[in-house]
Amino acid sequence: MVDASGFVAQPSVEVPTPVPSRADAMATGGPRFAGTQPMVAPGEVEQTRTELAPQGPWRVVVLNDPVNSMSYVVLVFRKVFGFPEPRARKHMLEVHEQGRSVVWSGLREQAELYAFALQQWHLTAILESDEAH
Amino acid sequence: MKRIEVKLSLSVVAPLLDLMKAASDVLEAQIAAPITLDDIDADFREDWKAELLQGQHEELHALMGLFNSDFFVNGVVAFDEENAEVIVRACSALRLRLRRHDLKVLGDEQLESGAVDIERLPDALQKPFMCYVFLGTIQELIIQHLDAAILRGPQGDGEEGSGEDTGEDGDA
Repeated sequence: MVDASGFVAQPSVEVPTPVPSRADAMATGGPRFAGTQPMVAPGEVEQTRTELAPQGPWRVVVLNDPVNSMSYVVLVFRKVFGFPEPRARKHMLEVHEQGRSVVWSGLREQAELYAFALQQWHLTAILESDEAH
Repeated sequence: MKRIEVKLSLSVVAPLLDLMKAASDVLEAQIAAPITLDDIDADFREDWKAELLQGQHEELHALMGLFNSDFFVNGVVAFDEENAEVIVRACSALRLRLRRHDLKVLGDEQLESGAVDIERLPDALQKPFMCYVFLGTIQELIIQHLDAAILRGPQGDGEEGSGEDTGEDGDA
């Protein structure tokens, strides 16, 4: 492969050279940030029930940036969410053409994990509450 | 194990390394992407940022480690299943930094389209832009040849995100 950026050849051989690498947030259980707090006040134990709000639903939104290439963004969506390529490409094009794409929605805790994973890949990912829409 | 060895022109790449190192040093204390973390609980924000910075540090360390003494002898860098992911990420971090700092006078459309004539750029922008292109080319090489390894993971962990989605995608 030859181009103006200094690449002059690309031989390929089979020689393993281990380099330490870091598992991403999804592989390691992610950051320890989930804001899960008991929603039961003292004396109300008998009437406990599960509530989504304010834990969810939340949206993970990826915002456009002019730096990361389309192929890179597709790779990240496939890696982080396990999307098949057509779906990853659809979200990438939304980001590119509309400036943003909602890539996931659900409980706050999981949304945080996904947002963190996307940020590890240097994408501009934010969380939005569905209730704000 | 799939491995790519790339022979680089020392005369082209060596002058870029100082710039890469300088950008890398700045990113020791600064997240590359323009994220605010405002949507993260204040209690967790510092830990969140620290973990992002730690990861970024490891990526950049791996990238800069490619350009060791051996590189200056033979001009070869190698990418494989073990380092592909961190190198791709490191390139992204450095490109974001270059864009925000050294290339901020260029328009988004110029950068996205690649319609930039290096020789017409002011001298001060030529090296940063070459560096930006160089890092992007490394990324594309790796994605082209090692994307399967990245998706699989360095230890073959294979299982990425659940792919769970509530069908609310695309309502920007």
